[in-house]
Amino acid sequence: MRSRLFIFAMLAPSFTLLVLFYAYPIFKNLTMSFTDLSLLGMSRGGNWIGLDNYREILQSGDFGHILFNTLIWLTVTSVAIRLLMGLGMAVLLNSTALKRLRMQTIARLALLIPWATPPIVAVVIWRWLLDPQGAVNRALLGLGILDQPVAFFANVRTVWPAIVTIMVWNTVPLIALSLLSSLQSVPEELYEAAELEGANQWQAFRYITLPFLMPAILVLGLMSVFWSFNNFVYVWLATGAGPGTLTNVLATEVYIKAFVDFRLGYSSAIGMVMALVMAVFGAVYLRLVARRQLEESL
Amino acid sequence: MFRSSRKVLILLAASMTMSGAAMAQSTTITFRFNDTEAEIRGAIDEFQRQNPDIKVDLQRIGWRDARNQFLREAAVGQGPDVVHSAQVWVKEMGDAGATLALDSLLQQSPPPNQFTDFVAQDLAKNSAGKIFGLPWTTDTWAMVYRSDLLKEAGIATLPQTWTELRQASAEIFKKTGKAGFGFPAGSSASGAIWFLATSYWWSNGKALIVAKNDGAYDLGLTAEDIAECMKYFKSFVDAGDNPKANLAASDAHDPSILQALVTGNQAIGSMPPNTYKQVLEAYATANPGKPLPFVSGPFPKGSVTRSSNIGGRMLVINAHTKYPEAAWKFVKYMSSEEVFSKFYRTQFPAQRSLLKKVDFGPELKGFAEQLEYARSWGAYASGPIPIGSLWNLAGRGFGMVLSGQRSPDEAAKELLQEVRKLMPQKS
Repeated sequence: MRSRLFIFAMLAPSFTLLVLFYAYPIFKNLTMSFTDLSLLGMSRGGNWIGLDNYREILQSGDFGHILFNTLIWLTVTSVAIRLLMGLGMAVLLNSTALKRLRMQTIARLALLIPWATPPIVAVVIWRWLLDPQGAVNRALLGLGILDQPVAFFANVRTVWPAIVTIMVWNTVPLIALSLLSSLQSVPEELYEAAELEGANQWQAFRYITLPFLMPAILVLGLMSVFWSFNNFVYVWLATGAGPGTLTNVLATEVYIKAFVDFRLGYSSAIGMVMALVMAVFGAVYLRLVARRQLEESL
Repeated sequence: MFRSSRKVLILLAASMTMSGAAMAQSTTITFRFNDTEAEIRGAIDEFQRQNPDIKVDLQRIGWRDARNQFLREAAVGQGPDVVHSAQVWVKEMGDAGATLALDSLLQQSPPPNQFTDFVAQDLAKNSAGKIFGLPWTTDTWAMVYRSDLLKEAGIATLPQTWTELRQASAEIFKKTGKAGFGFPAGSSASGAIWFLATSYWWSNGKALIVAKNDGAYDLGLTAEDIAECMKYFKSFVDAGDNPKANLAASDAHDPSILQALVTGNQAIGSMPPNTYKQVLEAYATANPGKPLPFVSGPFPKGSVTRSSNIGGRMLVINAHTKYPEAAWKFVKYMSSEEVFSKFYRTQFPAQRSLLKKVDFGPELKGFAEQLEYARSWGAYASGPIPIGSLWNLAGRGFGMVLSGQRSPDEAAKELLQEVRKLMPQKS
């Protein structure tokens, strides 16, 4: 009993810190989401309106479209491309061909540049590149692929691919370098044994490389999903959620409701919905996918 | 040795006491300004020279974040002492308790020619009639033309109506291959299309929100009115005389539009005077010694009048300032004739007496003419819906039409529905 008390006493400061640091802001946001708090009435506080904000979110005609953008474009598409490209780049960086050309160090350093670029700078660079008078349009016109320049951020067909391009460019190096470090831990003997057994390159990748990379891919996938789902910067800086509301996502909707319409209570409710979606996803992902895969690969 | 050390100590103590006293007398106020420091630095330095007991720390923030940042700070008793504010924010910031009522300061130490000399007084007062801001600068948008391109297209006189503007733009595109009326057609929460649409409606005697005789507010447009306006601006984009690239531009000062005017790739624009001055400066820098091929003109006439909004800035004082007198002294100085004649020359003063003395020059003649037709936001500012929400909804609605996601009729109906949803919030 005394030892349990001792353990509890030792854990109490950390536990208190965690509660203050994480639980209090979440609780505060939750209580705000049940009020009609306005940015113009912060000193007065808001009135309790129960579940009205949540009801309004679910009944809003735009919510489905915003959720679709957030899930499909911002999250699924960008994460899938990032993981595939990151895996490809990691394999390339680890290849013997690159070693023979003595290009490994240069390639790794070059890969660090997009990752070290702040998102706002990345958006500015790509807005400039994808401008109708920008380098991409000039190149496509020069190659005869286009017959007139395309306003990538204003065209309804190209705006999402343009945003996803910026996200991928800015963040894929993190995935690639993380996977590269895992790749370098694969024992060479396994590949030698596979070669002796007559395995081709695809089989070696499928049955040796991929299982070794799986734990890293799962963790990076989870992190990328959380990070993308909640992301505000790329969409807001690139398009301001336009044209119209075409690229509006949950994070930009939180901003618009809080700081354009002044509805902090409603905005908090959207934030709670976002947190709930991610909590459910995280739990399901860890329970159904990650645990099984980790057990198989270990 | 001992005696000399004692003398040093006494001198040191005396100097510390004096400097301490001097420090105690000195007041530091913070001024948050939302445009470039170069515009205002000289005036601040001069104020400090004339008032050695007041030090002014200059903070800068972009317009997009200025209001929200200040409201968040003021809600917890923080924030700068003096704040640069859009005229339409003053009422709501006063109602929110974020800013200081200036009535007693105005009584004790009024500006020359009194408060009545200032324009936009209605926007400086909150719902209870208290004054929360001192109008500082004023302006309005006007039309800007490349005279060389008009000549090349065979257009001898500036367009006088919206129909003539449409025709002139098409004619320029057809005859010169250059953009005609290149307006920012983007749909951000603070997109410039709002100004154009509002001017269009006002010039036809209508408005999105109107005040009724009983003091209540109502929608002043039908879906047909909105759709008609959307179709008008969409026609520029569809025909190509406003380049599709401008669907990605939301601000009057978007670099692609300014650059197109400077390089002669666009013939007509619409903007506030400080943006126009940037165009003139950029052209003069790129073409030293050449005459400026620009003229300005008033907005086109609708079925009733010409119109544009009278815009501008005010200075407000934080409700939580520790130094209201020093802040007021600074606000009054910044509104003085000395500041506008010597330092802050990119803007026009908000005092009628000073405005009369401004030499607009030949290039800015159209702005001077337009000022006579400019009007305040009226029911948009005093009504039940935050003007930012109206602006956002209109921008999104037009954006969906101009980018081809919705037909004008569908988008007009949706816009009206969204605005109507916000109407019950009135108290």
